Parts: sequence; structure tokens; C-alpha cells
Amino acid sequence: MTETAIQRWSKELIIAGAFIFLVLPLLGMSFTTYLTLTIAGLAMGMLLFLIASGVSIIFGLMDVLNFAHGALFAWGAYVGFSVFGQLSNWVEAPSAFQNLGVFLVAIVAAMTAVAVLGIILERVIVRRVYGNHLFQILITFGATIVLVELIRVVWGPNDEIMTVPLTFRGNWDILDVIIQKYRIICIFIGIVVYAVIQLVLKKTKLGTIVRAGVENREMVQAMGHNIFLLFTGVFAAGAGLAALGGLAMSIFSLQVYPDMGSTYLLFAFIVVIIGGLGSVTGSLVGALIVGLSYNYVAYLVPWAAAGVNILIMIVILLIRPTGLFAAGK
Amino acid sequence: MVEQTPVQIYRDQLKKRRYTSGGFYLRMGILALFLLVPFLFPSFKTVDLAMKIVIFASLVASFDIMLGYTGILSFGHGMFFGIGAYCVAFLIGKYGSPSYINLVLGLLLAMVVATALALLVSFISLRVKAIFFAMVTLALAELAIVLANKLSGFTGGEDGISISLPGIFSVAFNLGEFMGFDVSGRILTYYFILFICLALFLMMLRFTHSPLGRVLQAIRDNEQRAVALGYKTFIFQTIAITFGCVTATLIGGLYAMWVGYVNPESSLEVMAIMLNVLLMVIIGGMGTLYGGIVGAAFLLVTQTFLPDLQHLAKDLFPQATLLHNVLERWLLLFGVMFILVVIFFPKGVIGSANEFIARRRRSAAESP
Repeated sequence: MTETAIQRWSKELIIAGAFIFLVLPLLGMSFTTYLTLTIAGLAMGMLLFLIASGVSIIFGLMDVLNFAHGALFAWGAYVGFSVFGQLSNWVEAPSAFQNLGVFLVAIVAAMTAVAVLGIILERVIVRRVYGNHLFQILITFGATIVLVELIRVVWGPNDEIMTVPLTFRGNWDILDVIIQKYRIICIFIGIVVYAVIQLVLKKTKLGTIVRAGVENREMVQAMGHNIFLLFTGVFAAGAGLAALGGLAMSIFSLQVYPDMGSTYLLFAFIVVIIGGLGSVTGSLVGALIVGLSYNYVAYLVPWAAAGVNILIMIVILLIRPTGLFAAGK
Repeated sequence: MVEQTPVQIYRDQLKKRRYTSGGFYLRMGILALFLLVPFLFPSFKTVDLAMKIVIFASLVASFDIMLGYTGILSFGHGMFFGIGAYCVAFLIGKYGSPSYINLVLGLLLAMVVATALALLVSFISLRVKAIFFAMVTLALAELAIVLANKLSGFTGGEDGISISLPGIFSVAFNLGEFMGFDVSGRILTYYFILFICLALFLMMLRFTHSPLGRVLQAIRDNEQRAVALGYKTFIFQTIAITFGCVTATLIGGLYAMWVGYVNPESSLEVMAIMLNVLLMVIIGGMGTLYGGIVGAAFLLVTQTFLPDLQHLAKDLFPQATLLHNVLERWLLLFGVMFILVVIFFPKGVIGSANEFIARRRRSAAESP
């Protein structure tokens, strides 16, 4: 088979594309605005990565498209909201130590609670419909309704305002570039999570089994590993990541509301379609593309912000139907 | 005489049974009921409910062509429904005048837009995996809502568009009395929509029972086998999707005629309409078409009388606040029911009934 020009120059094309993508917005704005928007976009991208990576890994390993991931995301935000409400004097305390403490407590609480929820979901509902995409989507969609309605029962149907821990508020002003402190925290969380996922996947035995499961599920079973236990674990981990993303996103956007999951699940789907279902690196790249382009376009042409990601998704689907980093299958 | 294939023998048997089976009379009975509703129960609420059941039953049937017969889940069905509603509203409301020609033009415009969009979505998303279709349509439907709200100069924004109907369909029209009943424009609109929905339903039945429909079912059951038999699955799936979506747009246009206004909330809302349609198709039974009638009737009747149920619960059990909370969050109950039906009765009411009848017939045939 002869290589096409696109295949032969694929690396150069990708670099050139990324370069144009990053430099093009400069035509319409000043350099300081550009830097501010880039940081905002990176922060949003990192948060999207948190929810998209869960969708991606769960699909890659279990072949399950989890429509309930958005609801788990919202549950994470609400559990964090409750923790912030309970420890409000820590949130309002002027010490960075206490602020960080309450943030960590909220993260642990949200991730644990939602991981348990994820285990229940996988064991009780999803397990019954393995191998049938249609029923998986239907049943996880049903689970979304139930989980969102439960949020309304427990926390009430109204939007609530999320408070930012005191020392996380405000901006840094570095050479006229305004940088919100919390955005830097978001980027940091994203990098750490990506590093942890990669370490676990590449350096541990568990990660090797998971990667092998993505390649060939039957073979992993034949080697004597309990793949169903692995499924539950991966589902719980994905749910935990969604909870972390939900909590971080609710602080980022200063609010929680019962339907928040469906909004961000949509972003997550666009991200995994762009990046390729089943690939963690693809999720990261896709999330950054979505986050950056959303922020650039929202500044340049506000009304087009909602459509630009869908447009990118369509273009990617036309050029590379399996996404940028397809995971084998 | 030419020897018959088993399929031909089976079809002949079905044809002989056609006018003697209970199912035939049941169908005619349901049709007669809907025909007589404006005379038997002339109250506004009942006629409105009956019309909505007819409209949603047809919508669910068009969704079933994609879900039950082709195995493709679309979250954009509400969007196509809304496109139809908006096209009609544009032509006889905002950018035109209420006349018959504009009504027909509106429906035609809706069909053209829907065909283009359905083809585009299929070409984009079906190339990889059928599940991509669910994700892409979800994204597009969400975009449609945002656009309908944001481009308020064009679409009327959140307020939507109110429309009045032309000539004999208008509220002001009155033909006079017929056998003691007022024949108003609303009644005529009811029959007009009922007959178009009936025609669409018969067309969908014909579609699913045609050789094309059989191929679609073969693809749904086993895509690889269908490919191996030489069918280009992509083309067949695209045809089914386009057919289902265009039918949905037409029904959306009829819906706009009946309710007299469109806004993003009532006609485009993915969650509200998609949820209803999904619940109806699951309860009624996927891949049966008739399931839509059962599902739509059940869900709409429940939703209409839910406020009464809530009052009743409050009167009977004034202390049970938990019960009140649950009834107020009726969607929770529907969600649980949805999951239970998917797990335990994946064939729905009609599918399970069909299975039951077939089993009884088989055991009757075996025992002399």
C-alpha cells in the first residue's frame, strides 16, 4: 500500500496545525488578552479532561458508552457543595492552609461518594447490558434521569451559588496579564491527574492489565484475570474522576445546578470524539482543543462559541473518523 | 401451480387471518375511538389529550423506525420535531401569513431541511460506529436549542412564535351545528391532523414491511451478517434515518398547528421531548410501531392527571411528606420505571403481548 501525502507528512501536518491553531487568534486580539484567554482555555480544557478521560477509559476497556457520566459529574459537584456548606468557616478563613484543607476534604468526599455510586451503578444496572450498545445508552440515560432527580430531591431544584475558598479568589497581575489564581489550580490538577493516570497505566501491573483489556478483552480473561472486577474498578475510577471534575468545575463557574451534568457531558463527548474513544492522551489533547477554541471564539465572535466545538468535531470526523488518537479498535 | 416458499405460505396465512383476528378489530376500535372523541367527550382537555396522543404516537413510531427497526439511537429526534414546528411557524406566522399555500410550503420546507440535515448527520457519524450517531445528534440537538434561544431576532427567542391557522382551521371558523355538536375550526383541525397522522402511520407500516424494512431488521440483528450478505449497511441506515427524521419533522409541523405556538422549551427541548419519546417507545415496545400508541397514551394520560393524583395524595395522606416529595418528582418514578422496563421487559407492552400470543398459538397448534 502506498502512503498518501497526508500520511507521509502527518507529523509535520499536526505540528503545523497546532501552530496555526495557537497563533491564529492573535490576529484578533492583543497579546495580553491572548495570554489570559489561553490560561482560561487551558483551565477549562483540564477540567473537561477530567470528565472526558472517564468516558474514554470506560468505553475503551468495557465497550460501554456511559451516558450517566454527566450525572456523576453533577453529584461530585453537589457533594463538594455540601462539604463547603458544612465547613463554611474554613472556606471563609483567611489562611491558605485551611482553604486547601477544606478543598482536599471536599475532593476526597466527592470522589469517594461518587465512586461508591459508580460501583452501585455498574453492579446493579450496567452489568446487565454488557455487549449491547443500544441498551447501554438507554439504561445509562435512565440512570441519568434518576440521579438528576435524586439531586433535586436531596438538594432542591434551584441553582446554588458555589463559594470559592478565600485565598483561591482574586487574580495575579503579571506584566499586565491578568491570571485568576483558581485557573492555575485547575491546570495543576489536570496535569497531576494526567500524570497519575499515565503512571498507573504504564508502570503498574494493574495498568498493564487494563491496557491489555482495551486491546483484547477475551485474551485477558484467558490469562486468568477477573475482568469483571476490573470493570467495576475502572468504572469507579472514572466516576471518581468525574466527581473531581464536577467539583472543580462548580468552583470554576461559581454555581451548581441539577442539570449541569448534561452540559458538560456534551463537552466530554465532543472531546472524546475529537481525541479518539479509549485514548487518555487523546482526551487530554481533545479537551485542550475544545477549551482553548471555546475561549478564543467566545472572545472574538461571542455568538459562535456554542457551535465552534461541534464544527471542529465534524471536521475531525470527516478527516479522521476514529479521532486523533484512536486506541486500536 | 408454482411451489410456494415458506415465506409466501406464511404471508398467505396472515392474509387469510387478516379480517378474523382480534388484532384487526382492536386496531379498528382504537381508530373509531379517536374518530369519536370530539363527539363523546367534547371538553377541551380531553380533545387536547387525544390529539397529543395521536401526535406523539406517530412521533414515537417514526422514532421506532430508527431505534426498533434499524437499531440506531438518535437524540436529535426532538430537534427534527422542533424544526418542523418552527418551519410551519415561520411560514404561517412570523414571515408569512396564515394561508393554505404557506402551510403546505412550511411543511415542504421542513421536509427539505430535515432531509439535508439527516443526510449530513448520517454521513458524518455513521462511518465509524452507530453509537457515534447518538453522541453527534445529542451535540447537534443541544446546539439547536442554544441557537433558537440566541438568535432571538430570527426565531423569537424564548418567547417563541404564536401562529394562527388559515381558513377552516382557524379558531374563529364555525361551520354550524352538526347533529347537535358545534363543528368549529378546532374540530376540523383535529380531524385534519388525525388523518395525516393515520396516513403517515400507514406509510411507516408499509415501510417496515417492505423488503427494505426487512433488510433494516437484518442489519439491526446482525450488522456483520448483513454486510456479508452483500448489503451496503451504510446506505440502508441512512435511508431509515432520513425517513424517520422527515416523518418526525412533518409531525412537528402538525404539532405546531395544534398548539398554536412554538418556543424552544416546548418544541426543541431535547430532555423533555426526547425523554417522553424514549419512555413511550420503551414502554410500548421497540420495533412494533403500535407500541407508540400504548406508550403515548399511558404517559400522556398519567402526566395529565398527575396534578389530580398529587391533590388526592395530599388529601388522603396529609402527613406523608415523603410521598408528596416523590409525587412532585414524578420524573424520578418514570426514570426508575424506565430502567426496570429496559432490564425486565425489553420488548415493552406490545412486544411482550405479541410473544405471549405467539407462544399460546404454538402450544395450541402442538396439542391437538
